[in-house]
Amino acid sequence: MSVLVIVDRSPYGSWSGRESMDMALSLAAFDQPVTLLFSGVGVNWLRAGQDPASIFQKAVERNLAAAPIFGIGALLADQQSLEDFGLDASQCVTGVMPVTVEPTLLARFDDVVCL
Amino acid sequence: MSAVKPVSFTLVITGAPYVSQAPQTALSFARAAVSAGHAIDRVFLYGDGVHLASSLCCAPSDEVNWHREWSDFIAQQQIPAVACIASALRRGLVDDGEARRYERDAHNVQPPFRLLGLGEWVESMTSSSRVLYFQPGGGH
Repeated sequence: MSVLVIVDRSPYGSWSGRESMDMALSLAAFDQPVTLLFSGVGVNWLRAGQDPASIFQKAVERNLAAAPIFGIGALLADQQSLEDFGLDASQCVTGVMPVTVEPTLLARFDDVVCL
Repeated sequence: MSAVKPVSFTLVITGAPYVSQAPQTALSFARAAVSAGHAIDRVFLYGDGVHLASSLCCAPSDEVNWHREWSDFIAQQQIPAVACIASALRRGLVDDGEARRYERDAHNVQPPFRLLGLGEWVESMTSSSRVLYFQPGGGH
């Protein structure tokens, strides 16, 4: 079984992205192959140097840094969404792989989860 | 017409009752699946969906009490019903054990609902034929 978890919500405006990340980490903890894909406003998760202390939230960068350690296979980012938000790889946390989101990408996975 | 091969489903509900249609749609699906001879392996409440587990829900008398409808269904069908403990605790959904652990003076989750971790969902992902998600929708 391989699972793609899609995060398409902004990092601090909704709890959904964090709960998607928890799902991915749980799969990894049980040795299930899992990949994360950030798309739409969700690519803002990937910005390096986030400082949300003034809104009393913890930076999601720490969750992302933990992803490979806990066994999440890859951090994919929708190329078009990165461009829409003026982001390039140099502005993102390390390890992000831009991809073109198309049916063949989704078809590589047995399950796709998008909260 | 040939008989349909039975399928086992896990239903993940992420929309809260009285905020979204998700719990009603999931219950309609579950009833239809069971009456067609399919199995529901597990119901897993996640995110705002955990509010469905609250036994303190007080729906007006002329509205359906979705907590009670779901509780009756899963008790009759003996379907394991799990609310994600991390989602639940953040949202004030606690069972007797968690109320004691966190020194709260009340609890609102009781059988047939149980508070357990995401490992239950992972187990469903590996064992159910299909895992279906009932989400808030409505532009959320």
